Amino acid sequence: MKALKLKKEDLYAYLESLKSYGELWGPVKRGERYAYARLVNVREVALQALRTILPPKKFFVPPRFNMFRYSEDRYTEAFEDVKPRVLFGLHPCDIHGLMILDELFLERFPDPYYKKRREATAIIGLSCIPDDKCMARSTNTHAVEGGFDLAFNELGEEYLVWVGSSLGDDLVRLNLDLFNEEIDAQDLQKYLEWRRKRDSRYKLNFDLTGMPDIMELSWDSDLWQELADKCLACGACSMVCPTCNCYNIRDVSDLSLESGVRERHWDSCMNKEYALVAGGHNFREARAERLKLYYTHKLKAFITEYGKPSCVGCGRCIDTCPVNINVAEVIRALKGQEVKV
Amino acid sequence: MAEIPKPKVGFYGFTGCGGDLLTILHCEDELLDIFNAVDIRSFLMASSDVHDDEELDIAFVEGSITTDHQLESLKGIRKRSKVLVAIGSCACFGGPQAARLGYGDWEERFKKVYGEVKHTVARPRESYPLDEYVKVDCCIPGCPIDKHQFFFALTRLAKGMPVELTTFPVCAECKWNENECLLLKGELCLGPVTAGGCNSRCPNHGLPCIGCWGPTKEANVASEISLLKERNFSSEEIINKLRLFGGAAMVRRFADLLGIKTEEPAGKPRQKKARKPVAAGKAKKKTASKSPKAKSGRKR
Amino acid sequence: MTGNSQIAASAPSANPFMPEQMRIVRRSDLTSDVRFFQVRPVDMERALSLDYKPGQFMMVSLAGVGESPFSISSTPSRPGMLEFCIRKVGRLTGELFKYKENSIIGVRGPYGNGFPLEKMIGHDILIVVGGLGVAPLRSLLLYILDNRDKFGKFYVLLGARTPAEMLFRKEFFEIKERDDLECLLTVDNDPTSQWPFNKGVVTDLFPKIKELDPDNTFATICGPPVMYKFVVAEFLKLGIPKHQILMTLERRMHCGIGKCGHCAIGSIYTCLDGPVFSYWDVLHMKDLI
Repeated sequence: MKALKLKKEDLYAYLESLKSYGELWGPVKRGERYAYARLVNVREVALQALRTILPPKKFFVPPRFNMFRYSEDRYTEAFEDVKPRVLFGLHPCDIHGLMILDELFLERFPDPYYKKRREATAIIGLSCIPDDKCMARSTNTHAVEGGFDLAFNELGEEYLVWVGSSLGDDLVRLNLDLFNEEIDAQDLQKYLEWRRKRDSRYKLNFDLTGMPDIMELSWDSDLWQELADKCLACGACSMVCPTCNCYNIRDVSDLSLESGVRERHWDSCMNKEYALVAGGHNFREARAERLKLYYTHKLKAFITEYGKPSCVGCGRCIDTCPVNINVAEVIRALKGQEVKV
Repeated sequence: MAEIPKPKVGFYGFTGCGGDLLTILHCEDELLDIFNAVDIRSFLMASSDVHDDEELDIAFVEGSITTDHQLESLKGIRKRSKVLVAIGSCACFGGPQAARLGYGDWEERFKKVYGEVKHTVARPRESYPLDEYVKVDCCIPGCPIDKHQFFFALTRLAKGMPVELTTFPVCAECKWNENECLLLKGELCLGPVTAGGCNSRCPNHGLPCIGCWGPTKEANVASEISLLKERNFSSEEIINKLRLFGGAAMVRRFADLLGIKTEEPAGKPRQKKARKPVAAGKAKKKTASKSPKAKSGRKR
Repeated sequence: MTGNSQIAASAPSANPFMPEQMRIVRRSDLTSDVRFFQVRPVDMERALSLDYKPGQFMMVSLAGVGESPFSISSTPSRPGMLEFCIRKVGRLTGELFKYKENSIIGVRGPYGNGFPLEKMIGHDILIVVGGLGVAPLRSLLLYILDNRDKFGKFYVLLGARTPAEMLFRKEFFEIKERDDLECLLTVDNDPTSQWPFNKGVVTDLFPKIKELDPDNTFATICGPPVMYKFVVAEFLKLGIPKHQILMTLERRMHCGIGKCGHCAIGSIYTCLDGPVFSYWDVLHMKDLI
């Protein structure tokens, strides 16, 4: 991996030049929160944004999109016209989230809808200093070594810019004059210092080793019912989770009744009908069972399968759940600590 | 695929603002397609050419039932329709006019507002949703309804298929639209317990959800109430908000949480369903000679 | 929206979600609510090259209605045709029953692990079926009959509520006549009083099983949920190892290929890692049944 430097004062100029590759998107202020939006004016970018309401998954699997158009019995692929675009400002946890989605959507039976959008998108990371809801250090997703084209690391008055792919190299060359290729020992010192500072700011630190065993032993715990009594089953936790990928399909007919679309939209295992099959049997009727599934997926199943949790520690569930059910509280409860839930 | 003849359809309105039928009439881009898809036999708001003695495949009915006369008309519509669809909050839940359902005797409440009056045009009665009196095959809630949800239901019904509307609360779509959470900002938002399908219409404009789509199948109203109390809303405010559009759906399912006494009058044989506190209280009144039938096996 | 790259046609698409056009060539009622469908890709060459394993399933797509998974009831040893045995229970099946012979439906697959034939070859086989469980197990049964010399002793126990509700009744009467397997039939009730075979639950048939080498046996079961507990107990009594007791499970599915998440059970997806599971899987993976 190659490293370069960019003066902070040159950031806007560089962002502007990225537009020659494609649409530029980045975090902007949305009320008191943030959301990824098209950066028509690069100065609108919210560099201080820690977490956006929705994770970047919305770019690759939009909440609702059409898979097919059908007419009588014939199906036609309904690919949206995906233009090249640059996503700027992804923090390491979100890049890890994308890498998890890549494993789900690009490995066995690649999902062409995801793939097409993914291939058209350049990813530019941005370092961050955590707040009290970040727990990426516990999930070991606080740093990235891949999964991006460029990654900007704040370093005093400059950004250290990691080039992670050949596309990243192309992007640098869009405005090479802005970059400094001279990296010296001082930069290393600054970088190490910055890392120490970042690591020291994590308020949520959990030891997740053996989490599958703990989950297994908690299978019949009262905890799930206690959580279920409080859970609103609103599904917001799934919507904002960077690695929740469940969806439903629904055929929506045109008024002509002869044609229509096969639509795909986000689903959540918090939805009562999540495991309902034709004939009326519901494999996960109880809310407690569905909550258990959610956290089994985050803290057990994925570790068993891929050796890492499918929680990337972004803190969105902590920031979102109105009744304070989130991955941190569940970990605490599973580990026998007093919780607010 | 099987050839399906154009279904015969009627549109009717009872007590309500007419906003649901108006929503349909407002679909200017799709209106022709609707008229092509179905054979509209009655739609008074659109045309005076009504055929109100014909058998219908689908009847769309807006509004709640608040007079004896309406009740008779509703029964007539039911009798000649294969499928009866309630459209809008009033038809589905009783509307804001049913917000006091189960709070004491209706006649007393009526007199308190209107005094002693002689009924000349029609004999009024407590506002109830359609399913209090007749079998309703499908509910399209909302105040007013969402046109896309209406189209979805219409196409499904026209093909003789069941209509599954969204089972998510408003929160899901609100997240899709990346709105700031109003509940977390301290507003009295009913999003978590209210059925979605509106595309989070109100929160998109910074307004908290008022529950007009009715409670979701799994609405955890107890948790919502305690959450709002923690946010320093009074029980009264919370309950009023839940009841404003929740009407009969709220009362039937969450009477205890709304502070409605559910005991049956002493010595009276139990009605078939425990959800009948409202009906039970009313049934003893002579005005309620046409007492709403207690239905068993309700699926909500 | 722009770009209409592909149209569902005779060949499988690069898009794994794209239904392939297939024709209903025959349909017949097995009972009042269960219908048999014979389906074939529109293109005959493609039809003959269709390959799958017993125990796999296909996603059946009806435009404007949706998509649902169905077990394949036919055997790959009789190429050219896919067969399904479908009960009318929901929206999609309700619509499918309106489709006549010669109409076109969308089908994609095959999906799932199917039965581990490579492991089962050379072993004794015991198939126990109840009700609609015949849908996936008929595929295995016919496959074994078509490859009879590759397997050891072969027992089939089939139960239904009444003679009228016994699916593929005629076919089983014929199979029963063969001398290269033991096929035992039973019904819970016989309103007609004409039933010539056993009356009672399927577990009543177990004492009739003779000369089965348990360590060398694969036992499979598919049927209504209540059956599993009792039948598995019988398998264990016979001494059949837990990992050689196989069952196929049902779950909600929207994709069939591990994307939509609905069939997740612990760390596996029923659509990719199932629907065929061993009793050992069931024991060590909570939540499976």
